[in-house]
Amino acid sequence: MTATGTGTSQRVVTTRSARANAHIGRHAQTIAIAVVLVALLIFFAFSADRFATTGNLLNLLRQIAPTLIVATAMTFVISTAGIDLSVGSTVALSGSLLAIVLQHGWSPTVALIAILALGALIGFVNGWFSSYQNIPPFIVTLAMLSIMRGTALRATEGYSTPISGDLWIVQIGQGRIAGVPVPAILAVVVALVGWLVLTRTPFGRYVIGLGSNGESLRRTGVNTRKVGLTVYMLTGVAAAVAGVLIATRLSSGSSNAGSGFELEVITAVVLGGTSLFGGRASMLGTILGALTLGVIANGLVLLHVSPFYVQIVQGAILLLAIFANSKVWAKFGAIRK
Amino acid sequence: MTDQEPGRVDRVVMRDIRKRYGMVDALRGVTLRVGPGEVVGLVGDNAAGKSTLMKVLAGAVVPDSGEIVFDGRPVAFANPKDARELGIEMVYQDLALCDDIDVAGNLFLGREPRKAGGLMLDVRKMHADARRHLDALNIRIPLTDIPVGGLSGGQRQAVAIARAVTFGPKLLILDEPTAALAVAEVETVLELIKTVSAQGVSVILITHRLQDLFRVCDRLCVMYEGTLRADLDARNTSLERLVSEIVAHDEGEKEGSRR
Repeated sequence: MTATGTGTSQRVVTTRSARANAHIGRHAQTIAIAVVLVALLIFFAFSADRFATTGNLLNLLRQIAPTLIVATAMTFVISTAGIDLSVGSTVALSGSLLAIVLQHGWSPTVALIAILALGALIGFVNGWFSSYQNIPPFIVTLAMLSIMRGTALRATEGYSTPISGDLWIVQIGQGRIAGVPVPAILAVVVALVGWLVLTRTPFGRYVIGLGSNGESLRRTGVNTRKVGLTVYMLTGVAAAVAGVLIATRLSSGSSNAGSGFELEVITAVVLGGTSLFGGRASMLGTILGALTLGVIANGLVLLHVSPFYVQIVQGAILLLAIFANSKVWAKFGAIRK
Repeated sequence: MTDQEPGRVDRVVMRDIRKRYGMVDALRGVTLRVGPGEVVGLVGDNAAGKSTLMKVLAGAVVPDSGEIVFDGRPVAFANPKDARELGIEMVYQDLALCDDIDVAGNLFLGREPRKAGGLMLDVRKMHADARRHLDALNIRIPLTDIPVGGLSGGQRQAVAIARAVTFGPKLLILDEPTAALAVAEVETVLELIKTVSAQGVSVILITHRLQDLFRVCDRLCVMYEGTLRADLDARNTSLERLVSEIVAHDEGEKEGSRR
């Protein structure tokens, strides 16, 4: 028993350090991105005159609203070790179809419900192939990216379709409540609900479990396929909401909307510390990641840097974030596969 | 096995179980019984059919023929859930824990305590219950809020067994629970098996570590090429006898050992 005794005390020590390591490892990237965000805010506040004004910051929130909403849903998908590349095309299709059906005289309420249902359907197709048929989600959603973009182009013939400013639905993109843009409010609510669901509900727990060890979760009796399907329906609906936001903000539905949007969303999620290999997620990190991307885009424009650089910067950030995620922070975590 | 003494119903009796995979006869009519609170060691060479037999019992594999009697009633399992509902839990060889989820989360995975009408996790109750269950099983894991990926192999195995035990199973199947463990950790798991069986849970232990069997088992069942070759009393069987049964050396002893 003496051998067991010393073994136990050693184990207590290693367990305590494991706890510290695990907690640092889990939150290292979230802390890092928070530091980067604060640094960027200070930098732009001093270098760009109009950056630190209430008007600009509210505008910034409105700009990142679609990204944040879809990134919240994408955090769930990536936590299951999946990916959804079709969100940008879904944004284009839902925005275009919204404008077209409104032009055909549909009531805005019916049109809105129909568009959200369409998003859910697209998510269902993604989820059915990925989760029930075990086809790599990368391929499934890449194919859907092409199909949805093509459908949007076919439906609009490449033209933008105007949305009348008289309809109440444009308030979703353009309205303000107590001076705060509606999209910003919507995005904050979605992110908060997303955080609650991910960390405090059985579903959120199963999403993490699915990404961590799906077979283990299945053996405990959880319907893992249904969980896998649901996360894609979340991104589908979120992308449809983003499409509605963008189309109503611009009063126009365009088949070219949301190109490169999936990259921006995935960057925000990965930047926040959610692991592309699944099992590790941070909704707070996603929010900070989306804010960081928004601040960079907004700040660079205010500094009169060519907007073309924004894409270059975003791509570089994605690469750096994945590098940090898998190589640097993993040293703290010590539990990565 | 109808010759059981009155008042003592076998926990489980598997009778003439057969399973064929294409050309391979995995199980060729196996009969196995386990009493309440009994620890049965199931041994045999690779491909002897141990794991298949246990998967049948856990509901993961549906046999071609044969019957299973559980607590005196004939049962049939279509999936693992059916078996689990009757109180048959299996701890798989590859642990089946989620490394990123904490100890309490893994203990309750799929059966989390809930609040707010089942919508939310009751995290506080989960940690309190986890602590209680771990203490009751003498499992020394001081913290229930660290991811299991940070634990030692023995602790992880203990968590996996504790998960199976937590929901009051009547029969616990352990597939190679000590295969990947250090010596001191094996002790932890063997002690755990004794604790569990003392609480009345029947245990079937599959292992290649023959010395472990004599520490915890009441009976030793040897499988050979899809049949149950021998059913031995662990107290008066030598290691040599067991090994010769496993490798099927001595055909002469076969008759005497059959039950």
